[in-house]
Amino acid sequence: MISNLAVAILNGVVWGLIMALIALGLNMIFGLLHIINMAHGALYMLGAVVAWYLIELTGSFWIALIIAPLCVGLIGLIIERGLIRTIEDKPIITIICTFGLMLAVQQLVLMTFGGSPRRIAPPVAYRFPIFELQYPLMRIMIALISIGLMSGLWIFLRKTKYGLWMRAVVQDREMAVGLGIPVNKVYMWTFILGSALAAFSGVLAAPIVSVEFMMGREVLIMAFIIVIVGGMGNLEGSVLAAIMISLIQGVGALFVPPSVATIFALAFMIIVLLFRPQGLFGE
Amino acid sequence: MFLQKGKSFGFILIFVLILLALIALPFFVDLFYQTFLTELFVWILFAISFDLIFGYTGLLSFGQALFFGLGSYTVTILIRKFGLNTELSLFLSIVIPILFAWFVGYFSVKLTGIHFVIITIIFAIIGNIIGDTWTSLTGGTDGLTFSPRPFRLGFFQINLMDIKGNYYFVLAIVAISYLFLRRMVQSPLGKVFISIRENEERARLIGYNVQRYKLIAFIIAGGLSGLAGGLYSLTLKYAAASYLHWSVSGHAVVYTIVGGMGTLIGPALGTGIIMSLEHYLINFLQATDLVVGIVLVVMVLMAPKGLVGLIQSRFKKGETSA
Repeated sequence: MISNLAVAILNGVVWGLIMALIALGLNMIFGLLHIINMAHGALYMLGAVVAWYLIELTGSFWIALIIAPLCVGLIGLIIERGLIRTIEDKPIITIICTFGLMLAVQQLVLMTFGGSPRRIAPPVAYRFPIFELQYPLMRIMIALISIGLMSGLWIFLRKTKYGLWMRAVVQDREMAVGLGIPVNKVYMWTFILGSALAAFSGVLAAPIVSVEFMMGREVLIMAFIIVIVGGMGNLEGSVLAAIMISLIQGVGALFVPPSVATIFALAFMIIVLLFRPQGLFGE
Repeated sequence: MFLQKGKSFGFILIFVLILLALIALPFFVDLFYQTFLTELFVWILFAISFDLIFGYTGLLSFGQALFFGLGSYTVTILIRKFGLNTELSLFLSIVIPILFAWFVGYFSVKLTGIHFVIITIIFAIIGNIIGDTWTSLTGGTDGLTFSPRPFRLGFFQINLMDIKGNYYFVLAIVAISYLFLRRMVQSPLGKVFISIRENEERARLIGYNVQRYKLIAFIIAGGLSGLAGGLYSLTLKYAAASYLHWSVSGHAVVYTIVGGMGTLIGPALGTGIIMSLEHYLINFLQATDLVVGIVLVVMVLMAPKGLVGLIQSRFKKGETSA
């Protein structure tokens, strides 16, 4: 029992860190552009699919981990310049537009990649013992990579010029324009960064789950839950909420069926939406 | 009742002509296309019920799938497990989704904008998970089949196991629902819905209880989505948990945007065009959603008022048809 619990907690933290990455991307895009990107789950899926092809090509998970987010970031650039820019300031229309994009991307992958799930073998196969069970070292590495990426993001937002601009636009867009900050460019880079984060999340999840064209659909909802519980526009809140929700789901699944655990998470989210729309950790 | 305004005459004429054409159609097309058209009518009902909540009231609800699925399961379970007669089951497929829409709407209309969209998705997901898990009641992903018994309605003996009978029954109900919705959006109540869409703050300042009117629109749309689900199951003699998935609402979104939101005729037109397109594409393209997704994006960018908007801008003088 104790070993099951330890594994559930570890899994919860690892998965929470992966989900934190995708939720951070979604939340950054929301915080700056004030839009909900329904295609965000599809970008996560694209990250995993591109990684699968890259691994077939080069044989290295680590190369895929770097190249796939770059590719998806480029796709993000095209989406932002081609679509989002033209419907600026129309949040509801953007939801519909990105929903259409999600459909198109999913089906494009279905046509090229196929409908059957495929596996990416973890590049590190070593397992270490926890009490009487074995735990894959790869998952710990995935967690560490996630933490590394988030630390990088934190430093980027706090210490660089672009990071400062981004925070300024979040606080007061009019004032930022007045001070000569290239808001348009900041939007572009935010969307690229958000897309790349979704792709990172997808590549890191790939050795744990199987890669298939619908893998982003449920994850998108998970990311929504995290962003809302953590507070829209509150990045630290997203990370906390991701780990918290994932832990509750993982540990809860030891005692109740997973579907019941998910329903509780969703009901909890409705309560948060109604009574604390600024999120659990907001002011 | 529908002849209140002068411009209604043209509408009645066209409506009757289309109806007559559709009544005659089964004598010219085979059983396959009769079934296809029956399904098309059902989706038209789903799309116009969505148009009431989105196109007229301005609330983007991805939760309509929940009511569609509930209506579908109401009919299926009542007939299969309780042996209830067909007409009462179909009636209850409006009543039960209305009760659920009341509950869901009570919470949802407190939120606005993006938060409203998300809370409706969440309710639909909860419904979908329950449907997936509670297999003894719903049959889960495998679903449930049933066979509706024939029944009498006034002078008509209706047998839904007969494809042509099914066609006329669905056509009649969808046509009546269309007239009901058209009458509603032209009524003072409909004008309040539109005023909420146009400027919620102003509607509130005039003195309307905005949340209450939103709830009314939500309940009516939910009931009609349920009816669409009930008719869908009666047509396919089948219901499955996947009907409850929030992405089913996406159908209505696509049809409504492509046709032109807030027009009723637009979503009906959009349903016809998109479903025909899919039907045609399926011959040589496995993934029809690819084209549907692209069409949706292009329409949002190029013609946000949909096909009806395009047609209207061609004939500038034409009035808004409702």
